[in-house]
Amino acid sequence: MRSRNDWVIWAFLAAGLAVTVAFVLVPVGHAIVLSLQQADSFISTPRFVGLANYARVLGEEAFWRAAGNGLIYSGLSIVLQVLLGLGFAMVLNEAFPGQRLVRGLAVLPYLLPTVVVALTFQWMTDGSFGIVTVLLAELGLGPIPWFERPDTAMASVVLASVWLWTPFVTICVLAGLQGIPLSLYEAARVDGAGAFARFWHITLPQLRPVLTVVVLLRAIWMFNKFDIIWLLTKGGPLGATEHLPILAYKRAFSQFDVGGGAAVATLSFLILTALVMLYFRLFPLEEKR
Amino acid sequence: MASITLERVSKRFGNLTVVDAVSLDIADGEFMVLVGPSGCGKSTTLRMIAGLEESSEGSIRIGARDVTKLEPRDRNVAMVFQNYALYPHKSVYENLAFGLRMRKFDKAEVERRVRRAAAMLGIEGLLARKPRQLSGGQMQRVALGRALVREPEAFLLDEPLSNLDARMRVQTREEIAKLHREVGTSMVYVTHDQVEAMTLGDRVCAMRDGRIQQVGPPLALYDRPANRFVAAFIGSPEMNLIETEIAPGPVVRIGGAVLPVPASGFRLPGPGSRITLGIRPEHLAIADAAGPRISGDIAMVERLGDRTLIGLDAAGIGLKALLPRDDALAVGHSIALAPMPGRLHFFDGETGASLAVP
Ligand SMILES: Nc1ncnc2c1ncn2[C@@H]1O[C@H](COP(=O)(O)OP(=O)(O)OP(=O)(O)O)[C@@H](O)[C@H]1O
Ligand SMILES: [Mg+2]
Repeated sequence: MRSRNDWVIWAFLAAGLAVTVAFVLVPVGHAIVLSLQQADSFISTPRFVGLANYARVLGEEAFWRAAGNGLIYSGLSIVLQVLLGLGFAMVLNEAFPGQRLVRGLAVLPYLLPTVVVALTFQWMTDGSFGIVTVLLAELGLGPIPWFERPDTAMASVVLASVWLWTPFVTICVLAGLQGIPLSLYEAARVDGAGAFARFWHITLPQLRPVLTVVVLLRAIWMFNKFDIIWLLTKGGPLGATEHLPILAYKRAFSQFDVGGGAAVATLSFLILTALVMLYFRLFPLEEKR
Repeated sequence: MASITLERVSKRFGNLTVVDAVSLDIADGEFMVLVGPSGCGKSTTLRMIAGLEESSEGSIRIGARDVTKLEPRDRNVAMVFQNYALYPHKSVYENLAFGLRMRKFDKAEVERRVRRAAAMLGIEGLLARKPRQLSGGQMQRVALGRALVREPEAFLLDEPLSNLDARMRVQTREEIAKLHREVGTSMVYVTHDQVEAMTLGDRVCAMRDGRIQQVGPPLALYDRPANRFVAAFIGSPEMNLIETEIAPGPVVRIGGAVLPVPASGFRLPGPGSRITLGIRPEHLAIADAAGPRISGDIAMVERLGDRTLIGLDAAGIGLKALLPRDDALAVGHSIALAPMPGRLHFFDGETGASLAVP
């Protein structure tokens, strides 16, 4: 009995290990190897250069600007997504007529392909025909240079990202809210707690496990998010929305600097790993016994 | 401390009336038990007193204040919930302190009250723990403590013992009774367990389908049930209720026995009227040679230790009798029983109302 169980356990472990090696470790290892080489393209014969690519990349202002942009972009969009998601979830958790419909609508953006959202966003904000531009003009406002100025471009990609991914937070928090026993709120009401005290002393602590995971997932995704920015701005104008993934992509595929691109990608990975570890220290998933 | 007065309080959910014109006076310091079967509206009544449920009609007063429209926090009552509803992420100390902190008591007073309540309940050693590190009995004490520290005008308890095992239930029941004697605050206690109702209540309010059936001291409900429902609900094992009719004499016949109807104490209808005769199992005894006899075969025997409960099949009528211990009684034996004098109950055959003269 015991040996058969062991066999099954080993089989599952081996399968998991094989998948991890094939789809995670090999590509990551390959990227790291590339980052130590000099090559003009993926098919040319590479030359080993040690840490030269890293030295070069770290010496460039573009790298630090991209790192900073990445932190601003992911930081802003996470904070906004979590605050809005929390707010929406609390509204959707209350009973009101049409609750089901509104819940469905609230989830919609998350179901749309990023490409569709990016294109729609661009059409709506088009400088001459966009519906937003036209509406603003009727109100005597604008036009707003959505993607033309460095500061507004960053704000715009953050706005689009928040619109697109807040529903994820809303769904998770809504699920979390529904798991909170109503009797806790009733006990608190009898104990004299007002609406804010109930939120602070019951809702937030009860949501803590959900929020911890949601913020972590959002952080990882937003830090690595490539498509929405690429589709909206390609990192411009003047590199204002260029973060590490876009920098790595441009290096490797537009500027034929595969080693440099791989070095940026590897550094980005290291920065994210450090941030995640810091996060785990600050907000341990398991409560201390 | 204060009295609580409900005046024709009703509660409707949609067009379903779950509490129907309930009027109840709970005296200052009284222990009132609301008892009744599942779904009879006792929790809803309690929650309306707490303010967790808005009443559809009627008014509720606590002391001299009309609290009908007040928020729970403005009613100055404390509540103990069936599932305890302890704040899971707060320590026991913080659970107790929460209500005081919300009411802006200063630190020293919070500390003093928490320590005193903890001492009364014997949970001083648990103050640093989180609720999930407690046993059911300990959680129950913390829930009581959280109500106690508030020093409210009334305690409201909704089936506080139902999640405990039988031994803990008896022990905690005694502690709640003791607590009530010590603090002397009015308590409203909801249960579906008639033993809890009998042992705890100064008075018991029996409810059914959202209506009050009878209010009175536990023994009054036992001795003089106002109707068939209360008769069956209060007392264990349940009262025997036999559908029969008044025969000339006047007498009633059950299972071949002819029982004379008491000359006084009841306002009985004339011969031929349908009535329900009630006899508690503990008021049946082995018949002696003289007098009426209800004869039959023993269909069931439960040996309870000091007493023996038997089920008797008397010419198609099933009766239960709680007799002194008798190891010779066995299924299949024939036996004759007789009701103890003055222990019969008569109810209207239609309405179920008691026919006893008040
Ligand atoms: N929020 C609600 N909406 C609709 N019906 C409700 C609601 N709350 C309670 N009820 C109904 O009201 C009736 C009385 O409920 P209540 O909880 O007061 O019963 P109870 O006497 O406490 O029963 P139990 O012993 O099972 O706790 C039940 O039939 C219940 O289904
Ligand atoms: Mg109930």
